[in-house]
Amino acid sequence: MPSLKDIKTQINSVGSTKKITSAMKMVAASKLRRSQEKAEAARPYSSRLEEMLASLASSAASGEGIIKLLTGTGNHQNYIVVPVSADRGLCGGFNSSINRETFKLVKSLESDGKNVQLMPVGKKSRDFFNRVMKDQIVESFVDLNISNSGYESALKVSNKLQELYFDSKFDKCIIVFNKFKSAISQEVTQQQLIPLDVSDSSDEENADTTATKAIYDYEPDEETILKDLLPKNVSIQIFKVLLESDAGEHGARMAAMDNATRNAGEMIDSLTLKYNRTRQAFITKELIEIISGAESV
Amino acid sequence: MATISFDLVSPENLIFNDEVGMIIVPGKDGDFGVLPGHSKVMSSLRPGRVMVYGEDKNLLKAFFVSGGFAEVNPEKCIVLAESVDEINSIEKSLIEKEIQKLEEQETDISKEQLNIAKAKIDALDSNYYEKI
Repeated sequence: MPSLKDIKTQINSVGSTKKITSAMKMVAASKLRRSQEKAEAARPYSSRLEEMLASLASSAASGEGIIKLLTGTGNHQNYIVVPVSADRGLCGGFNSSINRETFKLVKSLESDGKNVQLMPVGKKSRDFFNRVMKDQIVESFVDLNISNSGYESALKVSNKLQELYFDSKFDKCIIVFNKFKSAISQEVTQQQLIPLDVSDSSDEENADTTATKAIYDYEPDEETILKDLLPKNVSIQIFKVLLESDAGEHGARMAAMDNATRNAGEMIDSLTLKYNRTRQAFITKELIEIISGAESV
Repeated sequence: MATISFDLVSPENLIFNDEVGMIIVPGKDGDFGVLPGHSKVMSSLRPGRVMVYGEDKNLLKAFFVSGGFAEVNPEKCIVLAESVDEINSIEKSLIEKEIQKLEEQETDISKEQLNIAKAKIDALDSNYYEKI
């Protein structure tokens, strides 16, 4: 039977863990609110950009140079996969689900005979893929700190990707990230970044854009605008993904810490019960000893 | 008098959104003014000033944009800019220091930034369109 003192120390240590987890929960909750605001603030830009792009995309013929971001290289052999994880842990299944999903994707692409490279974003996925697929990593980005440095950090990733793309290092880029659904749920999502996936926009939308296209005047001309717009679109997509992932991370951490706090509370309750029972048992034992001692006299 | 709705958007947030009387936008091939009822235009922008006027053509706000796109239709004008500063909030000395630093580097990116910084200085110095 554990001594009273042992149980007391256990209760105290669980209690201090509970304090830490509940503090982390509070921090995550306030960060979540901020990054959610950021994600919402970024929405007007990306939706406008998408609209513009949609009305221009139909006019793009296959060609060389920047247009390749839209039309593709014509090959489907070389892939680059970008898993976006958090830099820090203690957020439930957030990071591991990204790593698992990416791992599965890479394996399935490889079994189709494709070459796959990796460009992990975030410490947790970098560390994971450093262990399992070290030689496939071309570049990794950690400590991007999207909530402070904002668009700049998205540009870093985007510039590197485009540099590799125009060096013909890969044909397709898929980004794997946690889509922010609500404060407590994230969904692992795969999105094709390069070439631009226009199949997303439905047919009716396409019909709509051809209608608007006829009316617009372009300055200087459609192709020049498209050439400016496409690289920007890649950056903005990455920016959006990073923001979503950031909000998702805080949401996941909040949920995980909430659970941990509740578990710690339950543990303290059961330990306190155990403590009281043990104490009572000692008292009873001592009483019996005294009484039986008195009787024997 | 008629007004046109004007949105100025940067990747990080929506900077300006209101009904205005006129906007002057730095198009790639030259500045153009947008009045209510303007025909549909899509244009890319060069680094320069976006001037926003009220209904009686008084200057409401002046911004510096480092490039981007503008979409205009009769009811609405949308400017998507990569980075936006309000002209009044730009510190000339800081920009001049930045230019000095950038002139020492010789990369493609620094040249681009240098062009933007120089355009910023020009924007600060010029007083075109302030009264119309």
